[in-house]
Amino acid sequence: METRNGKKYSTIILLNLVALFCSMAPLLAAGTAQVQESFLYSLSNFSGRLPYNYPSLAVDAARSETFVVYQNEVTVFNDSGMEIFRFGDSMDLGHVLNVAAGPDNEILLLHYREGKSSVLRCDYRGEPFGEITLADLPEKYAGFAPNSIAYQDGRIYLASQNTMQIVIVEADGRFVKGFDLFELLGLDVNKKGDFEMAGFTLDKEGNMLFTVPVLFTANILAMDGTVKTFGKSGGAPGRFNIVSGMVEDSRGNYLVADKLKCAIIVFDKNFNFIKEFGYRGDKPDNLIVPQDLAIDQKDRIYVTQGRGRGISVFRLTYDDSSADGEALGKVSQNKGGMPTESGS
Amino acid sequence: MKKTYKLNLVVAGAGLLTLGLAGSAMAFHSGGVAECAGCHSMHTSKPGGKFLLVGTDQSSTCLSCHEHAGDTGPSGYHISTADADMASNAPLQRTPGGDFGWLKKTYNWTVRGTANTEPGERHGHNIVAVDKGYVADATNTLSPGGSFVAANLQCNSCHDPHGKFRRDSTGAIVTTGAPIIGNGSYATSVVPAAGQAVGAFRLLPGAGYTNSTGSNLFAGSPAAVAPSTYNQTEATNQVRVAYGAKSTNGSATWAQWCTSCHADMHTASGKLVHPVDQNLGSTISGLYNSYVKSGDLTGTSASAYLSLVPFAQGSSASDFASLKANASNTLPTSAGPASSDQVMCLSCHRAHASGFPDMLRWNNEYEFIVTNGAYLASGNTMGRTEADWIAAYYDRPATNFATYQRGLCNKCHAKD
Repeated sequence: METRNGKKYSTIILLNLVALFCSMAPLLAAGTAQVQESFLYSLSNFSGRLPYNYPSLAVDAARSETFVVYQNEVTVFNDSGMEIFRFGDSMDLGHVLNVAAGPDNEILLLHYREGKSSVLRCDYRGEPFGEITLADLPEKYAGFAPNSIAYQDGRIYLASQNTMQIVIVEADGRFVKGFDLFELLGLDVNKKGDFEMAGFTLDKEGNMLFTVPVLFTANILAMDGTVKTFGKSGGAPGRFNIVSGMVEDSRGNYLVADKLKCAIIVFDKNFNFIKEFGYRGDKPDNLIVPQDLAIDQKDRIYVTQGRGRGISVFRLTYDDSSADGEALGKVSQNKGGMPTESGS
Repeated sequence: MKKTYKLNLVVAGAGLLTLGLAGSAMAFHSGGVAECAGCHSMHTSKPGGKFLLVGTDQSSTCLSCHEHAGDTGPSGYHISTADADMASNAPLQRTPGGDFGWLKKTYNWTVRGTANTEPGERHGHNIVAVDKGYVADATNTLSPGGSFVAANLQCNSCHDPHGKFRRDSTGAIVTTGAPIIGNGSYATSVVPAAGQAVGAFRLLPGAGYTNSTGSNLFAGSPAAVAPSTYNQTEATNQVRVAYGAKSTNGSATWAQWCTSCHADMHTASGKLVHPVDQNLGSTISGLYNSYVKSGDLTGTSASAYLSLVPFAQGSSASDFASLKANASNTLPTSAGPASSDQVMCLSCHRAHASGFPDMLRWNNEYEFIVTNGAYLASGNTMGRTEADWIAAYYDRPATNFATYQRGLCNKCHAKD
């Protein structure tokens, strides 16, 4: 009996320690590498900033190009954020919803035609040369209607944000794996429609990053179905109001967009809060309702916004002097083995 | 290595703990005041902003969740289609109240050489939501038939964001006395026991509510019950919101509620005198029940309901059990009105916006809805594509109507 009580108390103490750890997270972060952001530019053409409202976007890491989908049109920007090409302004491509950078310079368009979704393979000129139709979907995903797309290592990742489902297929459309986030997160299936996910990107290991705004959480889903979740509601730095897009930088830090706070919130790889930046305002480095995020190999972060603010681009740099001694501006090695420029 | 493993365990534990908490969370509003941090920020609100709100304005704050770029169709609790999804598309949402995106759809066409413009702002309530591109009504600077200043129109003009109004176990609408245990808007909502309450329908406020204008607008909170899934195509099954006509114990009829801002509309002493809050009577209810389409009066009451012309259940049938029994989304049609059921503002208008002027549920600007078996996609298109027409009728195929279908005033009046 005493032993059982002892175990019980140990469990309580352990839980308290865990809770204490969670509440102390912002303080513990003081010892981690500092992240600094600097506003670079907004995606533009020769007339100036393109006044998008909440477009979809993807970064082609291999070619340092950015693809933006807005009102059915796909615009390609070069490494300096200048428009170099656009296509899809007619309805020939159907209703283009989202975009990903595919293999061999392909542009993958998630599009709908007559209510049915498929992935359109386009060359760098936007000329379609193939269509990927989802095949062998289990019954559970029969009505799957994706609105987000990502590509990595030969596989296409599709997400339906409002039904909180993810389907992964091979490059030819064959089903690989599916996830029902309602089940994974333990949500009440009778309340479908009350929850949705936001943001959908991949980290270097192929884990899927997303947020659930009404739960005030950011999530990392591994291929084996395990989910790591962090975040707490609140207005204080490091807490979430209404979260949206989420990406991982070259250091393994997580960046989460908060639409209401109008800020990008940065956490280290252990989910310790590091800093926030942006905030509502009209200065170039302010943000208006940041929604989706993308990041390239140079740790440039692309932020979609409302009120005609378009897409703002920031560069992240790292001061490691307070952590592992690596100095700001050095070239480091990220997890994926790719050289990453961490200073400019 | 060992240290890392231990740290991972702790992180995983923290993650699981957080996940456990998250999994037990309810939906955001849950019939009452939501989690404060969803709308307010104690530390990082807009510089110079009001109420510690972190959106530019109240409506922008609401639309942070209730609009989402990238929707593929009707989606959960979204009541507005984002600009990004509307270049060549009609608004996507199909809620009973309508998609505010129609406010951004301006149509131009020519009739006998004369240019016509139908401004988007004529399609609904012009909420001000700067972050989302919604601006005040430039034409009606005051509410038609009333004096509400259009520039002040926000979501919280009609919805109480703090959800204080609640329906207690007796059916009375009150603001205190019992905690809100959940959403009260749905057929699946719990029935409050003694000492409990559920939220008022759609957080619609009642007597004593003062929104940002400081006005005390409403006589009571109107009664209705919706199916739990309400944002869906009506190509096959209709969404039936069961509206009530209760006007006692803190409730107000729908007309009483709307006339808080539109006092001179449709009142016996007002400027526009189509009646509201009146029983349909046996003649009108009989016509409604027999009307199938233009030229076809062979219908029966069992299958007469049309969500394009809803009605309020009479006060004797407005208890919430009766309303719940009639709210549905899985049937092509259902029973039409009894003679004691009533006409209301929402019989003809949507609450948010529609694809037609004056936020009407059907096009009343032309004698036909359908010509030669198709929506007005050729000839007099009124500037719209066929997709616009279909979307405005919530995806109903034109074949649901007569090959030359006239306006839906005829659902009650059968002059066609």
